[in-house]
Amino acid sequence: MSGLRALLGLGLLVSGPRLCAAAGGGRCRAAAWGRSHSRAMATPGATGAKYLSQQEAQAIDQELFTEYKFSVDQLMELAGLSCATAIAKAYPPGSFTKPQPTVLVVCGPGNNGGDGLVCARHLKLFGYEPTVYYPKRPSKALFEDLTTQCQKMDIPFLPEFPAEAMLIDELYGLVVDAIFGFSFQGAVREPFGSILKTLAQVTVPIASIDIPSGWDVEKGNPDGLQPDMLISLTAPKAAARHFTGRYHFLGGRFVPAALERKYGLNLPAYPGTDCTLQLM
Amino acid sequence: MSCPGNPSGEPLAQLRYLSREEAEALEKELLEDYRFGRQQLIEIWGHACALAVTKAFPLATLPRKQPTVLVVCGPEKNGAIGLVCARHLRVFEYEPTIFYPKRSPTPEYQDFTTQCEKMDIPFLSYLPTEVQLINDAYNVVIDAILGADAEPGEMKEPYTGILATLKQIRIPIVSLDVPSGWDAESGSSEGISPDVLVSLAAPKLCAARFLGRHHFVAGRFLPYDVQKKFELNLPEYPGTECVVSL
Repeated sequence: MSGLRALLGLGLLVSGPRLCAAAGGGRCRAAAWGRSHSRAMATPGATGAKYLSQQEAQAIDQELFTEYKFSVDQLMELAGLSCATAIAKAYPPGSFTKPQPTVLVVCGPGNNGGDGLVCARHLKLFGYEPTVYYPKRPSKALFEDLTTQCQKMDIPFLPEFPAEAMLIDELYGLVVDAIFGFSFQGAVREPFGSILKTLAQVTVPIASIDIPSGWDVEKGNPDGLQPDMLISLTAPKAAARHFTGRYHFLGGRFVPAALERKYGLNLPAYPGTDCTLQLM
Repeated sequence: MSCPGNPSGEPLAQLRYLSREEAEALEKELLEDYRFGRQQLIEIWGHACALAVTKAFPLATLPRKQPTVLVVCGPEKNGAIGLVCARHLRVFEYEPTIFYPKRSPTPEYQDFTTQCEKMDIPFLSYLPTEVQLINDAYNVVIDAILGADAEPGEMKEPYTGILATLKQIRIPIVSLDVPSGWDAESGSSEGISPDVLVSLAAPKLCAARFLGRHHFVAGRFLPYDVQKKFELNLPEYPGTECVVSL
């Protein structure tokens, strides 16, 4: 009998809500941990992963905070790190045609903007030169602190948005769209309407965090932003079906197995210890 | 302060080993000046520690059939980092089991426990004193009992007993930041001998006495100005990695 079974047999294990080990022993564990083996066979991104409705995305988010007791700053840190890592894979600093790997990070008024701030900080550490535009800042400690972290790392915050797309093309090699996420609904309020109009004319690549901003979270938007890269967080949303850019990555490698099962997410396996996975 | 074991005093970037005071000052700066959140920092450290464990003990190379890891968590910050480390190891498909005899009263740290429980990570009710049981059941032990702020002279039960057990096990130990039971500056002549040390931000002075196989530094996220201010002289982190091997 294995040592672990001996420990189980001695009744030393005290908690673990879905602990079927006592009954099923090795079988149960094999089922839980064998999933990567079966999924390694599936083609990443082909059919496997479920595309979420807005409601499902919101429900999962809620559950992570209320049931699983994750804090927003924990998950935001992991999400932002995923985004920066994915960007580093798709657009390595050496690949920029500009003399410096400059990146404009446009942050919206909610959590998507917070993800953008974390992303900007990690991009700086990865050798990029990010600049942030953050016109509407929530007066919550979380966002104020993330802003301070960026500022203390000498990441400049623009006082106003570049007036023309051409200016953005000249100054930056990449734009990160962290304006609106999966909670977005209804009309786009200023200043984001004008910002999105300008971004739609930019020719340098745009990487959108979770949802291309301005898109309906489920139906997309053929007249809106057409980003080159999409980093879906947790799981892709239905809008991702309408994504036509070159790179679709998955990030936010923190989904507990039980949550994944509950919502039938069917996520492909992340390679090794990577925090991002290229779906396409 | 010069780095211990550096005889020639070469001007080029000698890695800095921090005193307990400097380590505290660095953390204070991150929290107060840079406004990093406590949970944010613990998440970052725990994630990086898990990555270090996977580098020292890749999943495919573990001797036992099941990739079991025992994570022993103390009551304070070092323990909380251990909890986050366990959670990420679970994500990386290891099979962590946690021993957390004295849970932290801090509400923020309690959430880390819930997160682990909800990820089906078992919690032991007690640590067997029979060392062979531990040797047989696990591949590696993660020592997340005491950190750099601990005063080993003040260590109480159950940790004295736990460390006595850990001194006798034959499987490798990974210590987070400081081998538990060591003085953060002078080390220890009779304490545990971990195989792997993961220093947080920068090595502490006691790391000069570390004799194990792998010494990692975790702290990619440290702002450049902090690194300069404390003269850390850290080696470059490769690519987008969060840990670097010394």
